[in-house]
Amino acid sequence: MGTKRDWEGQPLELNPQDTIMAEAETETQPAPSILSIFENFRDELDEHHDRRERIIKKSRDITALSKKIIFALQRVRATNQPLPPKIAQENQTRFDQIHALFEAVVPEQLGINGWRYQRQISGGIQEFIEAVSFDHYLRTQTLITHAECSARVPSGILVSEEDYLMGLYDLTGEMMRFAVLSLSSGNATATKVIENTASEGEKSTVASQGGIVVDLRAMRAGFEALSLPKRHYMFRDMEKKMDVMQNSVEKVERAAYGIVVRGSERPSGWTPDLSSAVEVPSY
Amino acid sequence: MIDQRIFENLQTKIDEETTVRDELHEIVQTLARRGRSTQAILSRAHSTPADQLKPVLDDVTKEILAQKQEVARLKAVADQHPFYKYNGLWTRELQNLVASIELCAWLGGLQEHKGPSSTSFMTIEDVGKFLDIPVNLKEQDAFHLTIEEYLLALIAMVEELARLAVNSVTLGDYTRPMQIGNFVKEVFAGFQLLNLKNDILRKRSDGIKYSVKKVEDVVYDLSLRNLVPKGGSSA
Repeated sequence: MGTKRDWEGQPLELNPQDTIMAEAETETQPAPSILSIFENFRDELDEHHDRRERIIKKSRDITALSKKIIFALQRVRATNQPLPPKIAQENQTRFDQIHALFEAVVPEQLGINGWRYQRQISGGIQEFIEAVSFDHYLRTQTLITHAECSARVPSGILVSEEDYLMGLYDLTGEMMRFAVLSLSSGNATATKVIENTASEGEKSTVASQGGIVVDLRAMRAGFEALSLPKRHYMFRDMEKKMDVMQNSVEKVERAAYGIVVRGSERPSGWTPDLSSAVEVPSY
Repeated sequence: MIDQRIFENLQTKIDEETTVRDELHEIVQTLARRGRSTQAILSRAHSTPADQLKPVLDDVTKEILAQKQEVARLKAVADQHPFYKYNGLWTRELQNLVASIELCAWLGGLQEHKGPSSTSFMTIEDVGKFLDIPVNLKEQDAFHLTIEEYLLALIAMVEELARLAVNSVTLGDYTRPMQIGNFVKEVFAGFQLLNLKNDILRKRSDGIKYSVKKVEDVVYDLSLRNLVPKGGSSA
């Protein structure tokens, strides 16, 4: 992409007076030449592109840090209790870094620019929501709300409902991975936990992969119940995310089934049978 | 456990958003319908000699003024919401309207709306004044005409003028292609000043050079056969 256009070699001998129309007009007025008008446009557009690119860079950095947070969280083995101090500490540093990055974006997105550059920062925000919601889920085994997400970023940063929803979709992928890893790490009580939580509802006390199955099903039902009008192209990537999410839920359901059916025969080191390869989508 | 209220709240938001979009969409549809009729009348310029153009331009002006009213209606609704959130809904129709306005003005219509110092075309400020909307707002979050929209409209106008250059010759008018040639080259030189990124503006402005070439071919054919009228500046 030739972003730098060298115009100095261009034949610029044209004057506004060259046009017939200009001659027809009153010639006494100094007409703003097309070139001076376009020079003004150039400055405006340059400012816009520069700002746009600065935001994109910040967004990428936020995405990278969020991914690291998620990786660290995947090393956790229990839900609904405080994170291991080492991981918690590591992630706190990253959350602080992300916060600083968001702070730096705030002045770029004042007023009208909030929505103008929304799509540029949106990728970072979605990944951040995935990280925050996963962190929240592991600690409390509940879903973070939109308001809680908004509270985690500086007030000048816009967290749209769309970003929030997309973040939640991605969260199901992380929950799937977490559940499968936990099952395969040989938790002897997994079967019981599944039966307990599935039948008695929400009494999850310990690290309960079964709880995750229930939660994933509830989330899937929630996602599927959302009705979006087709005609407005709202939430563009939703169909793809819906597919991936449904797949994730089914994978965990199959894994749970494997534990129930073959749990007693399970030799140590056995991993649940996932007939299709576990693909972990990363956005 | 998953709180289903989260999803209920999302659905509420989606419904609210849909209502806003429906309302805007309805106005944009009307604007689009009127826009097509403006363009249909404007396209008569291709088969009308310059000295009989006045009634056509009057008709076009009427249609444009009708569209202007739709823009006012759009502005009233859009001003209640973040501008860039919904800008995509109407940007296309607004561009088409501005292109029609520019073409009409270039052909000699809308004279009273051109700025006093204007050259052959209406500046973004002239267009804003005519449509009674602000232009290029950078702080205030309100409905306006953006620079990109204005530039895209200029490109559309240039393409239409390239076609007009050919058709003028068919009508026996050898002066107008010269005027078009000069104007188109000026606009082209202007676009060369811009540092464009890989976006829609870049893609569309790449087309200007073909328009320029089209017009230059016409001018070349005319000058080769000594058909260029005296007084018309050479290309």
